[in-house]
Amino acid sequence: MKKILYIALMAVFAACTPNAVDSTKLFLTEDQAQDLIGQGTLLTLQQFKDSFMTEQGNYLSDTTQYRTRTYLIEGRDTSYLFSIDTIPASETPIYIRGRVTTDDQGGNFYKTICIQQVFIDGNDTTQEALRISVDAGSVNGLYPMGQEIMIRVDGLAIGRYANQPQLCLPSYNNNIYANNAEQKIGWAAGRIPMAIFKARTQCIGLPDTDKLFYEQMEIQDFTKLLNQFPKAKAQLQEARRWDAKLIKVKDVHYTGEYFESNGNVSKCTTGNPEDDTNANVFAPTTTNIGYPQGRIIADASGNKTAVSASEYAKFAFFYLPGADKNGVANCSDYEGEVVGILGYYNDNGRYKPAADDWSISIRSLDDLRLYDDEGQLWPRIEYTK
Amino acid sequence: MRKLFITIILCIAAMIGANAQTRLVGRIISPEQQAIEDVVVTLANQGYTTTTNAEGKFSFTYLEASDEEVIIEATGYISDILLVQLQEDQLNDLGDIVMQNDFVREVQEEVLLNLTEMDLNDDEGKSQSMSSASSASQDVFNSTVSFAWSNARYRGRGYDQTYELGYIEGLSFNSAERGQFNFSAMGGLNDATRYKEVVEGIEANNFTFGSIGQATNYLQSATNYAQGWKVGLAGTNRNYKGAARATYSSGLMENGWAFAAQLAWRYTPYIDVKGQIGEGISYSSVGYFFTAEKQWSRDMRLSLITFGAPTRRGQSAALTQETFDLTNQYNKTSWGHNNYNPYWGYQDGKVRNSRIVHSYDPTAIASFDWKINEENHLKVAAGYHYSFYSNSALTFYNAPDPRPDYYRNLPSALLDGQIDKDGYFIAKDLNGKPLGELTPGGYIKYPLHYNGSAVGHSIDFDTYSKLTDLWTSRDDHATQIDWDALYAANYANNVVNPDGSARYIVERRHNDIQEAVANANYRNTSVEHLTATVGLELKASQGIHYKTVDDLMGGNQWIDVDPFAERDIKELATNIGLTQADIANVKQNDMQNPNAAARKGDKFGYNYRINMMTAKLWAQNEWSWNEVDLYYALQLTYSSMQRTTDMLNGRAWYLARLGEANNNHYYYLADAANDVLAAGEDFSNLPSRLVGYGHHFVDPAFKTGITYKIDGRNQLKINAIAETKAPLARDAYISPRVHDRAVENIYRHDYARYYAQEFGTSWLEEYYGASQKMVGGDLTYSFNYPLVRGRVTGFFTQIWNGTELNGYYDDEARTFVNQSLSGINRRHMGVEAAAAVKLGLYFTLTGALSIGDYRYTSNALAITSAENGMALAENAQGPIYELRDSVLLKGLHVATGPQLNSSLKLSFFHPKMWFADLTVSYFDWSYLDYAPARRMQGLFTGVRADGSVTNGWYGDNYTNAIEKDQDGNVIYDQYGVPELKYPYNILSDQEMLTASNPLHRFLVDASVGKLIYLKNRQSISINLTVNNLLNNTHFKTGGYQQARLPRQTRQGVADNENSVISPNVWKFPSKYYYAWGTNFYLNLQYKF
Repeated sequence: MKKILYIALMAVFAACTPNAVDSTKLFLTEDQAQDLIGQGTLLTLQQFKDSFMTEQGNYLSDTTQYRTRTYLIEGRDTSYLFSIDTIPASETPIYIRGRVTTDDQGGNFYKTICIQQVFIDGNDTTQEALRISVDAGSVNGLYPMGQEIMIRVDGLAIGRYANQPQLCLPSYNNNIYANNAEQKIGWAAGRIPMAIFKARTQCIGLPDTDKLFYEQMEIQDFTKLLNQFPKAKAQLQEARRWDAKLIKVKDVHYTGEYFESNGNVSKCTTGNPEDDTNANVFAPTTTNIGYPQGRIIADASGNKTAVSASEYAKFAFFYLPGADKNGVANCSDYEGEVVGILGYYNDNGRYKPAADDWSISIRSLDDLRLYDDEGQLWPRIEYTK
Repeated sequence: MRKLFITIILCIAAMIGANAQTRLVGRIISPEQQAIEDVVVTLANQGYTTTTNAEGKFSFTYLEASDEEVIIEATGYISDILLVQLQEDQLNDLGDIVMQNDFVREVQEEVLLNLTEMDLNDDEGKSQSMSSASSASQDVFNSTVSFAWSNARYRGRGYDQTYELGYIEGLSFNSAERGQFNFSAMGGLNDATRYKEVVEGIEANNFTFGSIGQATNYLQSATNYAQGWKVGLAGTNRNYKGAARATYSSGLMENGWAFAAQLAWRYTPYIDVKGQIGEGISYSSVGYFFTAEKQWSRDMRLSLITFGAPTRRGQSAALTQETFDLTNQYNKTSWGHNNYNPYWGYQDGKVRNSRIVHSYDPTAIASFDWKINEENHLKVAAGYHYSFYSNSALTFYNAPDPRPDYYRNLPSALLDGQIDKDGYFIAKDLNGKPLGELTPGGYIKYPLHYNGSAVGHSIDFDTYSKLTDLWTSRDDHATQIDWDALYAANYANNVVNPDGSARYIVERRHNDIQEAVANANYRNTSVEHLTATVGLELKASQGIHYKTVDDLMGGNQWIDVDPFAERDIKELATNIGLTQADIANVKQNDMQNPNAAARKGDKFGYNYRINMMTAKLWAQNEWSWNEVDLYYALQLTYSSMQRTTDMLNGRAWYLARLGEANNNHYYYLADAANDVLAAGEDFSNLPSRLVGYGHHFVDPAFKTGITYKIDGRNQLKINAIAETKAPLARDAYISPRVHDRAVENIYRHDYARYYAQEFGTSWLEEYYGASQKMVGGDLTYSFNYPLVRGRVTGFFTQIWNGTELNGYYDDEARTFVNQSLSGINRRHMGVEAAAAVKLGLYFTLTGALSIGDYRYTSNALAITSAENGMALAENAQGPIYELRDSVLLKGLHVATGPQLNSSLKLSFFHPKMWFADLTVSYFDWSYLDYAPARRMQGLFTGVRADGSVTNGWYGDNYTNAIEKDQDGNVIYDQYGVPELKYPYNILSDQEMLTASNPLHRFLVDASVGKLIYLKNRQSISINLTVNNLLNNTHFKTGGYQQARLPRQTRQGVADNENSVISPNVWKFPSKYYYAWGTNFYLNLQYKF
């Protein structure tokens, strides 16, 4: 009886369930995208950066209002690690477009998406890339990895946060409880409110991760940048071109080491990652300060760089490839390819740019394609008490 | 109520008898010439009362020959007052007296039911804030306030609706699980609720023992309904736009059968006008009511009744002050509006609401009424009721929160201090004063400091303005759900993650209940002056709770794991060292069916039932003498509850395992699962339905009252009650969706002997430690003169050991926690008064006033635990999984509507059946419901009641929010709670809902109507009711304080890992419900 009543009830209500939206209405076709572009201007990502991002930023005439430690001291050229350039709203839309290269499901990206330039010919050997700072958790839920998006950028801003260029809006850090708060309070590139970002962003076609372009690099290709230029300013400017690229480095392995704050290299410990910031997992605790942590990979020539992870990543407490509760002696047994987002992060102008400012942020453990001599993928072991 | 003063010079037919006496007789009939039963006839001067029999007749004997005022009152009819001269030693026959239908009240009841239904805005239906839909009472106070104060959500004496009892044909229909009567079960069926008997509060009651609140028994026998057809049409600008209904009644036929039936239809399509009442909602309801009665004789009748009203309706949401301020000028009228609704958005260009309620309460009742003889009367009844109730909501997985009013999506999230374009804080203080002022010009570049703390903005003002503009212009992306984007997210996800969980779905949360009820009521009048009544009520109930996938929104499937648990796995792992396989289990909602892919219609999340039994046996003696009436009654109630589940939840399994490790024996799992756990076996062989622990309660109650009739026009009445009440099932389980763990005091009740020994308490103390205890009383003086009548009542009720259950996201623990409160003591006291004064022939002026003081009189105990089982704190003994703390409630007001209510009503009645009235009401002392999480002792002292230390508190060096005198001593309020500095006191102080502008505390209502009699007993009535005539859109009717407390991570060198209470005290502001602006209800009815 109950079932009959329920079925009757559902019959009454079922008619009220709306029809699914036809997917063709939700994603722009290339023709539709071109129509829009035809009514405005499309810039490549590098053109966009070159057109609007200035050294000092146009947002503040009084640059002391940027957060402190923003520019280099020690007698070098002034270069602003933090800047904001607003892009005036225009009647003629200005667009950029790119394919999303990041994925925040693993917890290693937060309120950030990176896009890479989509070149129509598809035969690229290098790429242009840009970070976008959006104020929404799990933003990849709407713009997943592989999705091509087109953004109307006039009315927004481009700025740098720790020298990383990003599409943004101005933001004022007022966290008086931060470590060294007096050096951090001030203006910087900030996140774009979701409602504003959504209103300006359209998806072109369905996502296709196969179309992601992984620029093959050697570790030395980017770490050497720091030695190529005599002036720090030039180094930083060049780094801004490279930041946010989706890259792959081949024939590398974990060394079981990390960079100390002075750039020196030390071995990871076998401590409890809940209280030992040097434990041999991807990202032990930072005692809630929340900075990303690097674990070193090296190539056959001994060139080293860091793979970066957040303590909030789901894989934060997984042992490094080859590591376990006994230590890191077997890390070098697993060698192969590491892919991820290249980043140059420098938030302290008191120090000169250094090799350990570079890192590769992996999106998930799938980005570590490391195998032993017998072709076995590295085992994933999570720390437990 | 209409008073009809008719002086009748009776033509007396002299009766000559052996024992001559003064008698008065008469017959009450409807306009359709049908006898009306149970009409109350009172002789005001001599103080006698009787009721009409089935033939509509009444009689009084042994009267004094004098001028007399005969008051005639019946549900659904306009009261009459006849002035008669009684002739000595003669039969004074009033003949047939025709009572007119009270069609004004009919319309009011429909409007009230409509309002009640819209109050059902949470999943459990707990917030139905109306009192019993209307009062059938002829009492001046109740008949005035039931409609006039309903818009302000007045609740009689401040009681919540679990103290108001609803019966149908003597059968109890208050839900055993949630405690309240569900008016929407008869939505639109105004004839199903037309006839009733109402007992106000603690009084003698012939259909149930009753409680401290009102008890209503709806009478649905077919012979109640006048023979013929009745059809009606209604139009309104409320939650539905149009209604149509038709009723047919056969009247009593020669074969002894009578039938009556009603069909009702109410409808509105989606309302696609932003700013209009009910924007974004739709409404569709079809109701049916059928009743058949067989009379073997006038003394023996059987009634068969069935009704139901399948309803589908969209909901609207409570608003924060910010969303109200941002949206109330859009499409503005002179006073703005309060109609913004964040629950809807456009899907492919069409309006769609995310919160759609489906409700349907098919009910069947059989009742048998047997007047065995003049002295013995038996009524028995049985009924079955299945309540389908479900509500839909968006849920999401690894995707941004889709709710437009989610705090991160509001402009205030950009400005920590919530500064508006003029440089003022959006948030006002409790007196409506802006909280601070910035530099002229409004362009904000520098952080604002308040009391030494930076509370400045975090983004530039241009950005803030951009987002604010989107809100004030009601941009679809900003203020409404972006359905198309959610579909796009799912379509994209199907490509990149075809076997994964959809990003967004609409889920449907089912809270069904089925109840079988039976009742026997026996009355005996064989002893002179005594009416003795014995009643037995039996009820078997089952609450059925589960979720289903309502709409996959283009996604492939929903994977049934708990997103919170998945996120917190790291904490879980480090708590007790779970293995990888364990972790995979913990996040499962059903370990016997792991990672289930749910598709449309599939159950997921949880699937449990609560089985409940209730048996009540009561007896009452009513003594009646010339000057004094006396009654007393006793009741004994047995109740039980037991949870069963069809899903073995991973967190329940984890907690049970944790219990094993910590040697506590709370019942998280069914016994069968416990055994498996203890044996370390795998659970694949467990039965599909797991039966939890049963809880049993026995509760006594006693009440008594005495009425002293000073004379026929004045009387004094005093009543008293004492009772204990078992906890409702809805408050009994800490997290019934997850596990079988009952709240602490029920656990102790179950093991009363053990705990009595353990703590040196008495068994009785432990046994009744779970029950609520109440004592109450009232004293009434009433008067009844030809030109003025009314009453004054003083009342006092003390309630001890109330329980309550809350759940919220805890920013400190960063997980969802459940919080059970016990030991909540309350006191309700106040005065009710009303008087109706006749002004000439056509006008009556009625005044009503209720002044109450409803307060918490003690602090309560809160036990807080994480739903996923993670430890919430640590002390020297190790991790603490259940935090015990005191909630500083003492002195707070109970949030059940205004505590000062008053109104003046001018009524007009013309004998040619014109009706009109105008009511001006003033309301004050209305308070917002508190969030216990903001009143914890640990927040004020840094140390919880269990001795554990909090992570951040008001007296923290960083917060430094506690007021101190010049000598540095903490300043306490009269209840011993440290006072907080401004603005932190916004977090803890109870907010007054009453508008700061006195004009905004008034509501004005009016109605006008006309009844036209046609030939052949046909009639047409038309009535227009307008509520909130002055369009007061600032009238808050209720709301709640968000439990979530704003926190800020403290990263000072010496204080890593800690958090302090954020100076941005407005981060999680309170939410409010508002009275509708001007709204009308136009009703047209034709009887033939």
